[in-house]
Amino acid sequence: MDFREQIKSLLKEAELYQQQGLLNEAKERYRKATDLIKQNAHIPNSQQLIAKIVQKVVGLNQAMERINTATSKPQVSDRKQDLIKKLFSSGRETSSDDADLEGAIALAKFGQFERALQEFERLLDREPLRVAAAKNILRCQLELDALDAAVDGYGAWTQDPRFSAAQLQKVKFFLESRLKKSGRTLDALALEEPRKPAGTAPGGGVSADRPAQGIPPASSPEPPRAVAENRPSGSAHGGEEEYLDINSVGILFDRGPQKGRMVEFDVSFQTGNAINLIIPGKDRNVIDHLEAGSRLDDIQFFSPIAILNGSGVVTAKTRIKSGPKEGDFSLDIAIIRS
Amino acid sequence: MATFNFKNREIECKIVYYGPGRCGKTTNLEYIFHTYKKQVTGEMVSIDTEGDRTLFFDFLPMGLGKIRGCDVKVQLYTVPGQVQYSSTRKLVLKEVDGIVFVADSLEVRRDKNMQSLKDLHENLKSYGLSVLNIPLVLQYNKRDLDAEGIPLMPIAQMDKDLNRQLKAPAFPASALKGDGVGATVTEILKRTLLSLQKQLKWAT
Repeated sequence: MDFREQIKSLLKEAELYQQQGLLNEAKERYRKATDLIKQNAHIPNSQQLIAKIVQKVVGLNQAMERINTATSKPQVSDRKQDLIKKLFSSGRETSSDDADLEGAIALAKFGQFERALQEFERLLDREPLRVAAAKNILRCQLELDALDAAVDGYGAWTQDPRFSAAQLQKVKFFLESRLKKSGRTLDALALEEPRKPAGTAPGGGVSADRPAQGIPPASSPEPPRAVAENRPSGSAHGGEEEYLDINSVGILFDRGPQKGRMVEFDVSFQTGNAINLIIPGKDRNVIDHLEAGSRLDDIQFFSPIAILNGSGVVTAKTRIKSGPKEGDFSLDIAIIRS
Repeated sequence: MATFNFKNREIECKIVYYGPGRCGKTTNLEYIFHTYKKQVTGEMVSIDTEGDRTLFFDFLPMGLGKIRGCDVKVQLYTVPGQVQYSSTRKLVLKEVDGIVFVADSLEVRRDKNMQSLKDLHENLKSYGLSVLNIPLVLQYNKRDLDAEGIPLMPIAQMDKDLNRQLKAPAFPASALKGDGVGATVTEILKRTLLSLQKQLKWAT
């Protein structure tokens, strides 16, 4: 096939894949078309064609970003929650108790935690379901990273006459094991002890000095990742300069096997003017010649709202030694605006 | 497993449309919803997210009327196709009676079809079911794109990739245009009801 036809065909495929929501496939076709155009630079208007493709790719990156950042468990309407409850509780040759519990569990499994919590709270009134409901309340709260609420809830149950000592013991054991699994320090937790004789008055309320505050919250963020230290300032206002979010970058290499070609990389992490790229180990030859301090004079930064030209400095290049990206390379680049 | 209410002579079964992301499962249900109005007994419910991707499931209730003295109700579901929604897929698959595996005919989706079929096999296994025994129909969707010059896999290759061991009935289709959608749903209903007849000794 004539290369013009090939380019046309690739662009047609890319458009269709994009319409179908097959964004990676569309991007790949655009990449192939760009490569083909670059290899045949004598094509009239090749630069305009490439610019149009770049715009399309930016659009794709935006769409991918929206999908990747959309919540995976959104809260749905009451009507849909009712449907989930109805459809995923068997109610088939089982008691109403079982069906109600299954319905509430289904809500939790579909991430409808607030509604599930209300359902489980109601089920606490039913003796046969009490322990299961209490455990599921704790499970929901831990999923919501509401560790304090889980611990406080358990504390309140120790004074709740509906709970027997045996039931409380089971719930306490469950909470402890879940906390252990998630790596929380139990020493600091000091869960309220279940009252000793079943059904008797509780030995005391929730201790005011219960050192629950010592437990790190489940959502405690990871320490910030080390990034480039030699950030170029360049602030026009003397304060911290704001940088656009960069989805991907195109680096024009002036050395190495890709000399004279622009290679696109996705940005895996950005803070301010520092970006991090993960380069697959199989592509190490592309960046072999780069080291900390290497200057990259021609970089295109693709952000959701604009494409910017600029330059950057490699601030770190490290081989990832463990985890799912083992063998890949992490490249930190400090952006220097043109 | 279907429910059989002996007292009311009512049977309710569950058919799940399975397949890789963006293969056309929801489009199948939408076509059925708009076309088979007589059989559809309620609204189609979709829980989707950014980019119209099914997030939890689609649901469409149908009634087939009386078959051998029994009122037959069918619930059609789709699963979310994206790889990351594995636990939701498994949840939707619970108590399934029949499966339509929708494969994407696009050449670029060949691997995704095979991965999804493997995922189906594993999820069924976790419920003690086998992809070889459960009522199953394959649908090779998006055949209409051939006319637009988009590279599709030949039917023979899809059969070889997906159906060599299963030997399930397979239908070329275009869910968008409706081609093959009716044949697919008819075949899975036929197979599912026959299987339930055997299991429940219904209508014997």
